[in-house]
Amino acid sequence: MTREDIMEKVRRIFRDVFDDETLVITDSTNSSDIEDWDSLEHITLVVSMEKEFDLKFDLKEVNKLANVGEMVDLIASKL
Amino acid sequence: MNEYTYEEIETGHIESFTVTITEEMMDSFCAITGDTNPLHCDGEYAGSKGYRGRVVYGMLTGSLLSTLAGVYLPGKRSLIQEVTIKFAKPVYIGDTLTVEGVVEEKNDTFSLLMIKATIRNSSGEKVCRAKMQVGVNG
Repeated sequence: MTREDIMEKVRRIFRDVFDDETLVITDSTNSSDIEDWDSLEHITLVVSMEKEFDLKFDLKEVNKLANVGEMVDLIASKL
Repeated sequence: MNEYTYEEIETGHIESFTVTITEEMMDSFCAITGDTNPLHCDGEYAGSKGYRGRVVYGMLTGSLLSTLAGVYLPGKRSLIQEVTIKFAKPVYIGDTLTVEGVVEEKNDTFSLLMIKATIRNSSGEKVCRAKMQVGVNG
């Protein structure tokens, strides 16, 4: 799976979680760009990604993520 | 009160308890929330709408889910994060409800329980169905 393939699936997850098909997600997108991206929705996002990519994150590595790009890189490192 | 840790709970774990809804509960709920809708407060009005008495507030029935998580599953370490609830049938004063929760899924990253909850009346009818996401504090 290419990095762009991962990013496309991540975009789909964001649009589903925030119920917004117009959401523009790039590597630099972070929680300050999406009003509803609070700590609870962050949990929902991470759990959704674990299911989508069939992998497990460590809480420490999840808490260090600064933006979507880092999230995509972390997923790629585990596939 | 149960004091389960995250590790002690397996998928499939079930907890349940029963509660009888009283007039005092209805009056207290009305006083707390200010919901004076006649369907809940006026037996005659409720009867005129086809119900056999005052209809118990759905959110009063739903509030028993707080007890399910906070006292039983997992109990003391509970932190409710999300509840999706459906009110399938009316509940009446005097009904004895059985609240049951089963752990459908766990998430190790965040120590979460995904609980499927059902509330049945004494006839065994499902009056409420819910999905709950509950964190378990360390």
